Amino acid sequence: MRGKGGKDMKASKVKIIGKKKIKDLLREASQEWNVYVPQKWSDGDVWMDQLPKDKQMLDEALEDVVLEDVDTVISPKDIFFPQLESIFKFKDDKIWETPEFSPKLIFGVQPCDLKGILFSDDFYRRNFEDRYYVSRIQNRLIVARGCLRPPRPTCFCSSAKTGPFAEDGFDLQLVDFGDSYFVEVGTREGEEFITMHKKFFSEPDGNYDMTIKEIKTKACDSLELKVDFQNALSLMAQDSFIPEENYRRIGERCIYCGGCLYVCPTCTCFNVFDNVKDKEGERVRNWDACVFEGYTRETSGHNPRKDKWLRTARRYEHKLKFDYKVTGLSGCIACGRCLSSCPVGIGISKFIQEITEKRKIM
Amino acid sequence: MKNEYFPYPAVIEDIKTETTDTKTFRVWFTDKVLADSFDYQQGQFMELSVPGAGEAPISISSSPSRKGFLEFTIRAAGKVTKSIHMLKKGDYIYLRGPYGNSFPFEDIKGKNLYFVVGGIGLAPLRSLINLVMDNRNNFRHIKVLYGARTPDDLCFKDELEQWKKIPDTEVWLTVDKPSAGWGGRVGVVTELWKETHINPENAVSIVCGPPIMIKFAADKLQESGFKDKDIFMTLERYMKCGIGKCGHCNIDDKFICKDGPVFTYEQKKGFRHKEHIF
Ligand SMILES: Cc1cc2nc3c(=O)[nH]c(=O)nc-3n(C[C@H](O)[C@H](O)[C@H](O)COP(=O)(O)OP(=O)(O)OC[C@H]3O[C@@H](n4cnc5c(N)ncnc54)[C@H](O)[C@@H]3O)c2cc1C
Ligand code: SF4
Ligand code: SF4
Ligand code: FES
Repeated sequence: MRGKGGKDMKASKVKIIGKKKIKDLLREASQEWNVYVPQKWSDGDVWMDQLPKDKQMLDEALEDVVLEDVDTVISPKDIFFPQLESIFKFKDDKIWETPEFSPKLIFGVQPCDLKGILFSDDFYRRNFEDRYYVSRIQNRLIVARGCLRPPRPTCFCSSAKTGPFAEDGFDLQLVDFGDSYFVEVGTREGEEFITMHKKFFSEPDGNYDMTIKEIKTKACDSLELKVDFQNALSLMAQDSFIPEENYRRIGERCIYCGGCLYVCPTCTCFNVFDNVKDKEGERVRNWDACVFEGYTRETSGHNPRKDKWLRTARRYEHKLKFDYKVTGLSGCIACGRCLSSCPVGIGISKFIQEITEKRKIM
Repeated sequence: MKNEYFPYPAVIEDIKTETTDTKTFRVWFTDKVLADSFDYQQGQFMELSVPGAGEAPISISSSPSRKGFLEFTIRAAGKVTKSIHMLKKGDYIYLRGPYGNSFPFEDIKGKNLYFVVGGIGLAPLRSLINLVMDNRNNFRHIKVLYGARTPDDLCFKDELEQWKKIPDTEVWLTVDKPSAGWGGRVGVVTELWKETHINPENAVSIVCGPPIMIKFAADKLQESGFKDKDIFMTLERYMKCGIGKCGHCNIDDKFICKDGPVFTYEQKKGFRHKEHIF
């Protein structure tokens, strides 16, 4: 069977690795891969950062690696779609491309974020193919890590069936089991990775299938925030179900900071501009967001989405209506980051509660 | 894998001043393979770059029936377009595309055509009009209704005169603000309805211009009895990529750069927030 990532999906196999061995595994893997793994910064925030190649810096960074109850501030999308990236450079009459295609091991991806990555992969591959994104994902291995407990109180993946464990789409998936992880193998590439580093892995014994099932059920039960996700998608699919008034009310409260869209795993919008320094220049692209007034403002000053509520409508309708219409999948993968990052308490889960429970909560 | 973001050099072969702020640039690719294989359709646009200034979407104003060059008619509006205006004959400009859908051609053969145009909107429509003129026998009566802010803002003045001379072809001009020496009509383009008969029988209309003008013209055409599917219009949106990726031009599940910019009135009425398209 061909999986979403175009890789061979094989019947799942399971290995086991002691938690203490993870650092050594990452150290060894970083010789071959650019390794991205959640690391805790001194201010307490956790970012999915690249491990340094320098030996001493690598040792220090490995001390900051965290894999449990991890709430990375932004989704790992910036590994493939950086906040700011060069698309080509120019000098005099020459211009040259600057794509990036290093091998990437993404270690400790949350299942909801994995769904977001696969969703974006599909978007960027669709005609016209995005050269920069697609070259960045060409050589990529994803090690997902299921969540025993929701890292954010705003997580609602069990309602959207995007977590707390992934069913497919990963190369390997870690299942937390005391002082070790069960490692589920999703693809041949995942299996090859284990073979390459076999000294760290062993065979699980006993009735491990049952144990894994129990862990997953318990994890699912630990999510307190529950919303009627499927119902929300069906309501949004009806053409004019959501009254303008809902968008206007939420739109009045929003301060249009764009925070929710920057942290969103499936927001793909960008701006493009040129930078010139000492005759050499580059064209760059950076994240943009549909809630900004300038997003649709034309040079003449005319702006078809001048009214704020239209921008609010765009944001919800893109994720819950039009993405679903085009791909059959929701553009919201229920990570809950929009709500946890919003300074005024707006989020997709609340929007879903409003429309399915027919009450005002924002 | 083709890199759609990467532009190709073309040399500026000729520059013609249309109005005080608008010029038509005739350009062609320097790479022979690209030049030989390049093809486009009426109504498509390209992304034009001046490295250092940036990139802007500009409609191809020449007709695909006239080979071996491309023309762009550009109003100096902001950073990129002003930089293009500074370029001289022999300079390089960088292009990628063509992008977007096109104006109908095969499907409207045998019909009466109404072109309702405002200002620089004649640039993309000129591509179709000249294509029609080069296949004149395939079409019936043609009316071009063209409005501009002032007499100076009328583009392609020579061609307007040439089209008038073609049998069964009428060109009606009007300006919002007359200047000394203007003996023609004054008023917005829909005022022309009072002067010339608009008959929807076996006809299609194609509207292009500033958003507000498109809105009024399309409503007026509908009042005159045109069916929604026989009114074609271009939708304008701020664009950054031209290939359905940057998001800026989105309306519902459509990208205006890829699924447009040409839509029928019928399609426009299907949008979720249809009252707020313009
Ligand atoms: C399909 C299509 C076809 C067109 N055809 C023609 C044509 O044939 N002739 C013609 O004259 N015009 C045409 N236009 C309009 C033309 O593209 C604009 O006038 C042009 O893009 C203006 O760019 P500028 O750099 O000159 O303006 P500026 O406003 O100075 O923009 C400078 C740069 O700043 C950035 N920028 C500006 N505003 C914003 C914002 N709100 N948010 C973020 N960044 C911003 C952009 O990167 C832009 O390149 C067309 C537009 C479209 C969409
Ligand atoms: S249109 Fe808005 S909601 Fe959709 S991807 Fe872009 S920024 Fe995100
Ligand atoms: S984070 Fe909140 S305030 Fe900021 S744009 Fe998103 S909804 Fe609006
Ligand atoms: S211009 Fe970028 S998506 Fe249409």
